[in-house]
Amino acid sequence: MGMRMVNLSALRSDVKRGMLPLLGAAAFLYSGLPAAGAAAGQHLEKHFAVNIRPVVVIHNVANGRIEVKSWKNPEVDIVASQTSDKIGFDMEQVGDRIDVTANILNPSAQPHELEASLQLTVPEETELQLKTETGLIYVEQVMGDMTLESVAGDVHLKEVSGYIIVRTTEGSLVCTQCAGKLDFKSISGGAQVLQPALTNVSLFTTSGNILFDGDFVRTGLYTMKSGKGLVEVRFSGNDSFDLKAQTTMGTVDNQAAAYLKPDSHGMIHRASKFTKGLFGTVGQGLAKVELSSYSGTIRILKRD
Amino acid sequence: MQCRDVEIVVEQEGLVPLPEAARAHVAGCSRCREFVADLAIIVSIASELPAEVEPPARVWVSLQAQLELEGIIKPSVVPAHSEPSSWWHGFSDLFRSRALATATVGLLIVAAGVLQMRQPPDASLEAERSVAGPAWQIPFAQTAKVLNEQEIDLRNMQLADTSAVDASFRQNLQQVDDFIADCERRVNDAPQDELAREYLSNAYQQKAELLSAMMDRGGSVQ
Repeated sequence: MGMRMVNLSALRSDVKRGMLPLLGAAAFLYSGLPAAGAAAGQHLEKHFAVNIRPVVVIHNVANGRIEVKSWKNPEVDIVASQTSDKIGFDMEQVGDRIDVTANILNPSAQPHELEASLQLTVPEETELQLKTETGLIYVEQVMGDMTLESVAGDVHLKEVSGYIIVRTTEGSLVCTQCAGKLDFKSISGGAQVLQPALTNVSLFTTSGNILFDGDFVRTGLYTMKSGKGLVEVRFSGNDSFDLKAQTTMGTVDNQAAAYLKPDSHGMIHRASKFTKGLFGTVGQGLAKVELSSYSGTIRILKRD
Repeated sequence: MQCRDVEIVVEQEGLVPLPEAARAHVAGCSRCREFVADLAIIVSIASELPAEVEPPARVWVSLQAQLELEGIIKPSVVPAHSEPSSWWHGFSDLFRSRALATATVGLLIVAAGVLQMRQPPDASLEAERSVAGPAWQIPFAQTAKVLNEQEIDLRNMQLADTSAVDASFRQNLQQVDDFIADCERRVNDAPQDELAREYLSNAYQQKAELLSAMMDRGGSVQ
């Protein structure tokens, strides 16, 4: 009896010794699994068949880029990638409307765990409503009305057309070869409009800089205002527009005096005694250009 | 913290982010977890409604201001001094609700815009205005008062966040405040400077929108 007890005790001890490394290894592997998964990143891809001119709505509360490109297919393809499982994507389709929302699943997640990017491929004619906080919004070759909102992320548009509304807190806009109408508002973000074919432009920023480098479409209306920043317009010799530039505390730097003639339409424009102004006409004055700055510089020059 | 306390916190401060004590309670209470989850769904769905049902107040503000500036419509006459003083005392109650606060700020800017636009630039009325009292002497005084109160409310919220977005909001709010101060000095020195007034009006609109965004996010300006 005594011997048997000794043997059992020894056996139990042997089992314990044998199990411990196994348990240890299992525990190590278990603890490593989520971290490995997070580090490797997670991908989610979905395809939505659509008819014509779908509407895509994205609300990305995470940090990350939203990229939208187009193709000929009647399909919206969405690839979402994230760095952790603390963000969840809700995607739903109702007819030709597709909603994508990135949600924070764990409120205690650290900023680096809240990175999520979205890559979309949409039909060429698509309406977009994109909202993000810190990531870049990039849209290329999409035709359709779009509203793009960002807090600190920049907005880059290339070859897009439609009624384009951009709102940022400090993100900047770069709009290259855009057509249609553009409405930009920001507090400290700047705007660069390059080689546009826009018929209606409204740019307003409190402290950012504005650059318009391109042609003014005949009958187009262009308003560019910056509270403290630089407003620079580079026009071509073939342009035709009426110009009204005013500043309260800033300066007007006219580097195109040779092209700017007194207004030929019979209206006499004069700056008020409280502002410094520049009025004139280039060509026949078919488009209307209004520039203003509270305390920044307004610069007008002809492109080479 | 009890279930009732969680309800009060959610009612007063919104869902995200919940204070630490509330989060701890919710983690261990299935009833509160369901309550918070249901509310999150409702808030998520509700947040999509205004865009489809009615544009935000700021759209009407901008539209009205633009139409008035272009002379397409004439501003209606709103006698500022006829506003009963007791009306203002009720504002602290109104601002308990964020949605109401946003709507109220929008309405105030409309009122301030109308008030500003009805001020003719001729000298006789300028002189009359200068003796009418402080509310006339400081452009957008009422709007400024309400927005500043709202800003203080945000500062007092113990929900300071260190994220890049909140830092951006705080930094830009400071920029707008500085710009408002700059424009106010100019408008006080030269009340007939229309351009300065226009920039001041725009700055107040931006401040209202920024505060609204910050409240929606549940962040703080601390």
